[in-house]
Amino acid sequence: MIFGYLDPGSGSLILQAVIGGLTGIGVAYKAYRAKRGLGKVDPGSEQDGDEEKAGDAALPAES
Amino acid sequence: MSTPVPGSFRDPASRVVFDGDKVTRLLDERGVEGWRALSRTEFFRKAVADGRLIESVEVDPPDGSAGALIHPRLDLITYPYEWTFSMLRDAALLQLDLLEEALSAGLTIKDATPYNIQFVDGRPRFIDIGSFETYRKGEPWIGYRQFTRQFLFPLMLRAWVGVPFQPWLRGDLEGLTPAQMSKLLAGRKRFNTSALLHVRAQARMESRMGDRAVRKDLSEAGFNADLILANVRKLRNLVGSLSWEEGEQGWSTYGECSHVARDRTAKSEFLETALKRFAPRRVVDLGANDGHFSRIAAANGALAIAIDSYEPVLDEVYRTSAGTSLAVALTDLANPSPSQGWASQERASLMERARPDLILAFGVIHHLIYGASIPPGEVVRWLSTFGCPVVLEFVSPSDEMVSKLVGNKLPHELHPGGEESEFRAILDKLFVTSDEHVLSSATRVLFALEPR
Repeated sequence: MIFGYLDPGSGSLILQAVIGGLTGIGVAYKAYRAKRGLGKVDPGSEQDGDEEKAGDAALPAES
Repeated sequence: MSTPVPGSFRDPASRVVFDGDKVTRLLDERGVEGWRALSRTEFFRKAVADGRLIESVEVDPPDGSAGALIHPRLDLITYPYEWTFSMLRDAALLQLDLLEEALSAGLTIKDATPYNIQFVDGRPRFIDIGSFETYRKGEPWIGYRQFTRQFLFPLMLRAWVGVPFQPWLRGDLEGLTPAQMSKLLAGRKRFNTSALLHVRAQARMESRMGDRAVRKDLSEAGFNADLILANVRKLRNLVGSLSWEEGEQGWSTYGECSHVARDRTAKSEFLETALKRFAPRRVVDLGANDGHFSRIAAANGALAIAIDSYEPVLDEVYRTSAGTSLAVALTDLANPSPSQGWASQERASLMERARPDLILAFGVIHHLIYGASIPPGEVVRWLSTFGCPVVLEFVSPSDEMVSKLVGNKLPHELHPGGEESEFRAILDKLFVTSDEHVLSSATRVLFALEPR
């Protein structure tokens, strides 16, 4: 991986896939699921306790 | 002897030093790789030719660097908190256009900050060649968040909320966060599709994702350059659609004021004489308003820096300055841009950058004296600190404009030194009067002054 000097913001990186269109929504969904719960126990493992979907995550908190 | 540029330290791959009148960019191995990839493209050649990218020549690097470039030194550096709305929008469009063209050439721009753009002859020019690097398959646009914080949200703030962005950008050099922008949006704009995505969804995603590493996951999920291009094109449409019109009249009708029309010819002639006498290369026009006198200075071969605090008029000056040596800077003279940022040196004060050979102060010092309550002696002392000739307009307390400015003040609330005889005594301590002219109203006197 190449890391820059700039903090790109994890949420912003996934969001820009959503903005990219239908294909990007699929990419964001996959990446978001891959990242759920990462870092709590083992950075290499996935956890399934989070029932939220990427589509929900891309929506604003307020309405 | 090279001097590091205080604002150039964040990118380890590329930093800039002043070397006399030259600007040298020192590159590490990654920086050299990015430069070589960029310099081979047709996109680079065209963007330099049309003035959107700064000229760059590769030279032998000094010890400790893998590569070095020489750039021309720009006459003036301004910061986004000194730009008008149209300037920030033009800079944003340039940033997006260059990114789109770079991606089409197999490159990307790794950041997205307006500090990488400067205005030369009234047009935006991208100056940070070190920002270009080869696009690696699967990588997202690293600068997206920075673009929204420093370009998009400030423009939205003005266009959609009606609040000037400059104080915010001056107060926080990183710009507005998505969460801040989300709280500032009100009414129907909150439900605008672009607001939902770039502002509210980004704020929500930031809150939810924290700082978890996701670049590898995005790459493995199939992220590609087409997604960046789609985002960039949508952002371009959005930025291009943002506009702002000042509702109130204020100084936008300045040129129609009776004293302005009456005195303009005499003041223009006085300035022309002073320009011939002092032959300045850099004229700083304090309280430039509609830029009439700055244009005269520019037409006489000087770099004219038009400074004013009223954005609607200065924005119009910018929009009519393309192709001229007239630069604009929005700032309040009673509180001009300070030195700030890291070690209080990252961003220099406006007056350090302006470096005038001649100060022009027509129709302005009475606003400092009677509007901002700065003592006349302090105003003159400040003008003398530049160590250059000053062309100024003295306005007597009996002038109709001063009467308006002091309408709500009692005599004892005004500083002494405002009467013409008192003001002349203050001037005589610090300046020699080379020329003077009493305007037809008899309440205003023009002075051409040289420092003692």
